Amino acid sequence: MLRQVKPRNARSKRALEKKSPLITENAKTTLFLRYSTCSEIVQLCLTDLHSLKRPFAVKFTKKNTIHPFEDPSSLEFFSEKNDASLLVYGSHSKKRPHCVTFVRCFDWKILDMLELYIDSDTFRTLSQFKNAKAGAGLKPLLSFSGTAFESPTANAYTLAKSIFADLFKGQDASSIDVEGLQYMIHFSVGEEVDGQPAPKIQMRCYLIKTKKSGQSLPRVEVEEMGPRIDFRVGRVREAEEGMMKEALKRPKQLEPKTKKNIETDIIGDKVGRIHLGKQDLGTLQTRKMKGLKRSRDADDETLVDEAIDDAKRSRLLDAE
Amino acid sequence: MATVAFQQGLVPLLETNGTSSEHDIPSEVPVEITMSEAPEATTDVVDDGAREQSMPVTDADALSPVPQSTATTTNNARVPITVTKPTPYTFDLGNLLCNDPNPLPPSAALTEADLASTARDCAQALLNQLLTACPITRTPDGVALTLPPPTTPLPREKPIPVEKPMSKWQAFANKKGIKGKKREGKMEYDEASGEWRPKWGYKGTNKDGEGDWLVEIDEKKEKRKREGGEDEGDRRKEGREERRERVKRNDRRMRANEKRSGKAT
Repeated sequence: MLRQVKPRNARSKRALEKKSPLITENAKTTLFLRYSTCSEIVQLCLTDLHSLKRPFAVKFTKKNTIHPFEDPSSLEFFSEKNDASLLVYGSHSKKRPHCVTFVRCFDWKILDMLELYIDSDTFRTLSQFKNAKAGAGLKPLLSFSGTAFESPTANAYTLAKSIFADLFKGQDASSIDVEGLQYMIHFSVGEEVDGQPAPKIQMRCYLIKTKKSGQSLPRVEVEEMGPRIDFRVGRVREAEEGMMKEALKRPKQLEPKTKKNIETDIIGDKVGRIHLGKQDLGTLQTRKMKGLKRSRDADDETLVDEAIDDAKRSRLLDAE
Repeated sequence: MATVAFQQGLVPLLETNGTSSEHDIPSEVPVEITMSEAPEATTDVVDDGAREQSMPVTDADALSPVPQSTATTTNNARVPITVTKPTPYTFDLGNLLCNDPNPLPPSAALTEADLASTARDCAQALLNQLLTACPITRTPDGVALTLPPPTTPLPREKPIPVEKPMSKWQAFANKKGIKGKKREGKMEYDEASGEWRPKWGYKGTNKDGEGDWLVEIDEKKEKRKREGGEDEGDRRKEGREERRERVKRNDRRMRANEKRSGKAT
């Protein structure tokens, strides 16, 4: 843990508040680092990924003696100091040639790590594709092709998918201008065949071109623009259950407020419930039946007399 | 390897950039990529200095104010704009993500053309989905799509913030239903001088009474002080002393609130 900085003025206070836990988070910053030995290809790869991730990326130039899978404490320190929850660490050794480690952090502690080896034959940099590139800071379209990414059991490929989606998704946006849909990053995995080595993850970046098709939707063409990288899967460090569960929790404030007593029918009609209190039947207003009014002490005779009187009266009236 | 052939025979379709030779690239990586590797692009790539992009037109008959890219041939033949695959795609439009579970040939047999065509299909399907499923708003700046919230579960970078306990005043105000008023601001009109002056701070009106040469003595206060045996003190400094005491009391209360909330977290 770093020492707690007490803000001395409003500006430093605002900066501190931006770094603190928030309900809706900022875009994740990525930190690019090198090991003491790092090949040309890995350095080019880091430069290209850094340019893809601008402005949410920081690149270190110095060499660091860190072994992520043995002792990640140094990486945790860098992550906290630079407010970067994604780290990309490049190294090269005889045992692990052209190795790039993707590290994801939660609460400044390592959440999970994925080690990938770059295929040096097929690697192509951004500058080797002679065309204009997409602007910086745009949200890319992402696509993952291949059955390995969708496998029901968590394996290295599902972890890779999660990490790449996190790395490249950019800022969370509730709406996007159609002009901003300029490029797409496509990851594909070949089919796994027993006996042959594990399939490679192939990353390609394409510019999206749309043409009039004469119909309502445009015809889409893709033009390769970006780094072309083929990865072989190396070591994996999965996240701890508890930590991952904590990280995937969504704050209550973000859930939409459901109004009580309003439901939607099977047909789709909106139905509401109104709860009335218990009704006091004693005070009900009914029809007046005057004939039913009797005092409690009345005899039967008086009743009979009254009945005869009524009958007489009615006959007299009829006669008239 | 296909890359060797490109180096030898083909003239690049695009203007060569001088910077490629200055680039430090190890010998196994060829210098230039020509655009003919992507077969779909052959019809319209002429000069790629300008980025070609036409606005996707939702209604083909509507007159689009955006000009068409100069290099495309107006191809009004029915080009396929839908993608059908054995296993349908799934989308996460909030992240502009497309999942294609269709199996690809094994890595050894995959070619760049295969990858490009798969990518084109994914892009077509994703754009179709975006243009049909998301509500479109036309603003003077451009056409915007409203994206739904993302569905893939991705971990947060920091834990959910803990709710701070309310301070004593906030609890009281909630109970009584007191809501703060916000509109006035720092400056107020001072009748005596006919100027707008700040209420507090440098040259604030709250310090007006403290510098008077004539100070009225409150009889009752004097009596209480004499009876209590307290030292009289400078009568002129009373106003200032009161203000300083109020500030100190406020600081004390804020520190107590911090301590209480610090203990809880």
